[in-house]
Amino acid sequence: MAPQSMSKPGSPLMEVRDLSVAMRSESGVRPILNTIDLTVMPRSVLGIIGESGSGKTVLSRALVNWIKPPLAITSGSVRYGGRDLLALPEEEMAALRGREIAYIGANPTSALDPTVPVGHQILEKLRAVAPQLSRQDARKRIIDTLDAVRIPSPAKRFDEYPFQFSGGMMQRALIVDALVSNPKLLIADNITQPLDVTVAAQILRLLRDLQKDFDTAVVFISSALGIVSEIADDMIVLDRGHIVERQPVNALLEKPEHGYTRELIAKVPKIWTGAAEPPAPSAQNVVLDVRDVEKTYEVRDRNAIFAHRKVQAVRGVSFTVRRGENFGIIGESGCGKSTLSRLLSCLEAPNRGQILFEDRDIATLRGKDLLALRRRFQLLLQDPYNAIAAHSSIGRTIAEPLLIHGLVPRREIRKRVSAVMSEVGLSPSLYDQLPVGLSAGQRQRVNIARALVLEPELLILDETLSALDQVEQAKLLDLFETLQARRGITYVYISHDLAMVRRVCARIAVMYLGRVVELSDNETLFASSSHPYTRALLSAVPTVEEKPYKTETYLLEGEPPDPIDIPPGCSFRTRCPFAFDRCAREDPRLTLLSDGSLSACHLEGSGLPAVDIAGLQPVATVAQTRPVAP
Amino acid sequence: MTSSTAQAEIAPPSAADNQRGVTRRILARAWSYTEMKLAAAVFLLLVALTLFGPLLIDASATKMSVADKFLPPLFMEGGRLPHFLGTDQLGRDLLLRSLVGLRNAFAIGVVSVIGMFILGCAIGIYAGYRGGWVDVILMRLTDVQMSIPVIILAITILGMSRPTAVSIIAVLILASWPVYARVSRGVTLAERQKEYVRAAKILGASDLRIMVRHIAPSILPPIAFVAVLDVARMMIFEAIFGFIGIGIQPPTPTFGTIISAGTQYLLNAWWITIVPGVLLALALGSLNLMGGVLERARNHILQGGE
Amino acid sequence: MAFAIEFFLRRISQGLVIVLLVAFVIFTLLRIVPGDPIRIILGPMTPASVLEQTAKDLGLRDPILVQFGRFVGQVATGDLGRSFIRGLQGGSAGGSQDAAGYNPESRASVAELIGTALPYSLQLAGLGILFALLVAVPIGMAAGLRAGKWPDRLGLYVSSLFVSLPNIWVAVVLIFLLSAKADLLPAIGYRGFSYTIIPAMVVAIELSPVMIRAISVSVAANLGEIYYDVGMVRGLSRWTMIFKHVLRNAAVPLLNLFGAQMIGMLLGGLFVVEYIFSYPGVGMLTINAVFQRDFPIIQAVAILASGALVAINMLVDFTSTTIDRRLKF
Repeated sequence: MAPQSMSKPGSPLMEVRDLSVAMRSESGVRPILNTIDLTVMPRSVLGIIGESGSGKTVLSRALVNWIKPPLAITSGSVRYGGRDLLALPEEEMAALRGREIAYIGANPTSALDPTVPVGHQILEKLRAVAPQLSRQDARKRIIDTLDAVRIPSPAKRFDEYPFQFSGGMMQRALIVDALVSNPKLLIADNITQPLDVTVAAQILRLLRDLQKDFDTAVVFISSALGIVSEIADDMIVLDRGHIVERQPVNALLEKPEHGYTRELIAKVPKIWTGAAEPPAPSAQNVVLDVRDVEKTYEVRDRNAIFAHRKVQAVRGVSFTVRRGENFGIIGESGCGKSTLSRLLSCLEAPNRGQILFEDRDIATLRGKDLLALRRRFQLLLQDPYNAIAAHSSIGRTIAEPLLIHGLVPRREIRKRVSAVMSEVGLSPSLYDQLPVGLSAGQRQRVNIARALVLEPELLILDETLSALDQVEQAKLLDLFETLQARRGITYVYISHDLAMVRRVCARIAVMYLGRVVELSDNETLFASSSHPYTRALLSAVPTVEEKPYKTETYLLEGEPPDPIDIPPGCSFRTRCPFAFDRCAREDPRLTLLSDGSLSACHLEGSGLPAVDIAGLQPVATVAQTRPVAP
Repeated sequence: MTSSTAQAEIAPPSAADNQRGVTRRILARAWSYTEMKLAAAVFLLLVALTLFGPLLIDASATKMSVADKFLPPLFMEGGRLPHFLGTDQLGRDLLLRSLVGLRNAFAIGVVSVIGMFILGCAIGIYAGYRGGWVDVILMRLTDVQMSIPVIILAITILGMSRPTAVSIIAVLILASWPVYARVSRGVTLAERQKEYVRAAKILGASDLRIMVRHIAPSILPPIAFVAVLDVARMMIFEAIFGFIGIGIQPPTPTFGTIISAGTQYLLNAWWITIVPGVLLALALGSLNLMGGVLERARNHILQGGE
Repeated sequence: MAFAIEFFLRRISQGLVIVLLVAFVIFTLLRIVPGDPIRIILGPMTPASVLEQTAKDLGLRDPILVQFGRFVGQVATGDLGRSFIRGLQGGSAGGSQDAAGYNPESRASVAELIGTALPYSLQLAGLGILFALLVAVPIGMAAGLRAGKWPDRLGLYVSSLFVSLPNIWVAVVLIFLLSAKADLLPAIGYRGFSYTIIPAMVVAIELSPVMIRAISVSVAANLGEIYYDVGMVRGLSRWTMIFKHVLRNAAVPLLNLFGAQMIGMLLGGLFVVEYIFSYPGVGMLTINAVFQRDFPIIQAVAILASGALVAINMLVDFTSTTIDRRLKF
């Protein structure tokens, strides 16, 4: 413990001493947290960083004495206001919770009763912790606070249900719920984790502002170094249940002392500094030609009789992909990329437009032709756990497409499958095993092998690597590269992961609200994007390097409009910091700019602030130059 | 853009567990309950009795003997061997009659549950997978079927023709398949959205192949657990049919007819009614207890328990 | 509001189609099973020529669809037809009495017969549900709140035991013990409210295991939801969470169970129990009608029963969507 490194003077608000937590199961006792010591000072923000499995969620819950079997506290104390919370009777603990100590978790959408309006639940809590408030006063106070966290039309939102809130909106509501009783301490466990980067950036800024306004101390727990470092004063690094390092945030980034910390810093992807040369666009013939594709879904309208409303999921998307190229499609949740993926994989047909694979419209294919297309045109899905059926052996799973297509005589199947398994780095000895013990990475390899066994020419990777950690992701990207070199495969990456797209894609399309708003080659897009939305995305990526796009300049307000109710004019103007009156009247078309990129913005890039890419310095230079400790 | 992993820190990803492994773990978990072992022992004992009892006991389930009528069970005064549980109003051995009745009831229960399981699940999976108007029509059909009470259907069909084991099974299947169709449709709807179905489609698998090879194996085990409870339910229906006079016809003994006939002699020879009922309740109780334990073992495992 | 209007318009029209289909199925079934209704109406001694003539006069020789159309037309005006057998005074008139000429006016109206019997059935059903709730709510709640502990096991035992007792046998045993031996309560027939108590106990024993299991499962499931734990971390008390949130959420599956399963069980149970106890409700009316081949009564009861099921399910679904707005119908 090094209290001198803590930045604020005064007596501590919370002191954790010698805290250990273990998981008890039939197979024995497994330690989760080991002798944790930490101190929270009033009005400070303590950041706790840890990868998944480090025990950080358990730690955050232990701070509010919320440890349930099979977890058990085996030693230590959590002292708050002179009392040990862990030894407190349930009623006294309940009296602190929500009043002095507030907690926000990573699961905003399931944190409240789904059947009661959000506002009413906050009201219930406020009235429970402050019974002296009248119903009207409490309601007014909540609506005011909802307004303060920039929830639009708060009085209306007060009566809406949790499922009507987006993740970001819900997280704001929970921040209101936590702060409305003026707590002294707020525990925020991974609160940005389920959110899109632009929304996470807003929440982060909001929390920082409120923390100052309310004079609240915050324990901010996250798995993303780029996010904690934005908000924390002091940092604690948690590795497999141990605190391995504690330092003020800048010192930690500049002079990490522990090897694990350096490893963590090195793992944060670099987008601008130290990034490898991106792959070049291909000049071969066009394999995939997407022409003005549109897809709408109908949903029942609760407020009108026998009426439906149209959800415009994809609104006229066009692009081409050349043979041997890596093409990227990026966008946040709700931008239409999953719908686009369903259209590309021929599971649904577009309402308008065409998808041409080698000049044939895939929507018109039936029977044998469709089967032949599926052989050459494969899609890999995101979830490595659910994409392979659990009841078949690994070999049988990979052989399935061969059986479907009847490509290989039965006695040769084993040979073919084993060959593909070795090619993707799976031991052929796994052939007869069930997938139950496989790691996420191995499962994804099974998935890849199953697609490769058909020898496809075009692979669409729909968030294929999102569920994997950085190391596993890098290995698979290498595998894809090797396969491309050997078999000349064309890849379309659909992803939200900017760093990955930066590394592998030659040309990139950015989607917003069912449209492509910018389409450029890799270097142009990252170095001098000509669309404000792309810049906002890039400004919000959690990295530990200096960004060419300043968060303050590009931070977005609010959330994307409802795809049922898209405003006229430019669909991005409701959030765009540069919107002007023309944007409300006229919908910008995707136009070719002088640098060869396509952008749908009236400012055409030149109207946006200038970017200086050459002068950038990586903040964590030390981490890169020093060798990583074993 | 969410930051990468969304896995829980403590719990292993439950989707990782394959269905067969899950089934095995559920069975292992269920077996760890004392209740399960007890119920299984009682059940197996009864099954053994129904199979071998008629060979061991020197009496007849159907032969009348006026001299032996209204004999009380052995544990009461006046009881005598070989009539362990006494005799009925016609001097027939009650234990044997109950055992034969139990065997028939069990056979009817098992066969009808298998029938309604196959029929219901086939329709349910098809409706859930196809969706659209096929789904609407099939589900409205289950509505129609479910809104005719079983008893009305049974007494209408069985009461107006001569009931046989086959027609009883047919009525039970006809009356109960909608439940299975409903449940399997519901699960199929959820399953259809899952990635592995999408993956299979992208690989080019036909709809039939997906339904049979992918969806059916993952949704049938949970429904099969529930089916254990239904065997007991069907056995009760069989008894009710016999009681009302629309079950298997005499002289074949069924619980319904034994109980119904016994009611006339309730004050003088209560055992005619009570004793077979206890035996039936024991059989059903062991089945239901096993079903109940299986169900909670399943809930336990699916909620991430060991 | 718009949602409610659309919901009811949609469901009532669907419900009418269902009831119509049920009516058609039963109607057809009754006309293809062995046994000529005209012989039942007129009795076995009637000469063949008279039978044919009367059958033609009554329209019984028309195609089934024509007969069904006529029947639907009648039902639409509220006329459920007249019993084949029961006379106006209630007793069976069947057969010889009027062999010389059949006069439909001499037979009891089905609507009146059902109208007389229905209050008895409702009384029995109400009391049965009340008894079942008295048993199931405390046991089910305790089992759900303390999953894995002894109340949970108690719930398992009680529900496994009750579900294993055939209602016919329970009825006989209760008659034997409470009525014949102990002489506490009357059992057979109906001469006062006390005649409802033993039958209602039988109904309750049949219903309660399903209730116990459903209550404990849905309460326990909601205790496992994140919002329950988070609620307490947010500063709400355990009892607030249970009474204001867990019970509210648990109500949705319970309501659905009530609609989908319990009403069917209740109806089936009522029929059997009324028959055993000679209780003068709709169930006994129907079972006797089946044995006497009194088709008008059977089809009327079937239609009313399915109508009731459809209506109850509609209300259940509407209540569910009101409680949980995520549900769509």
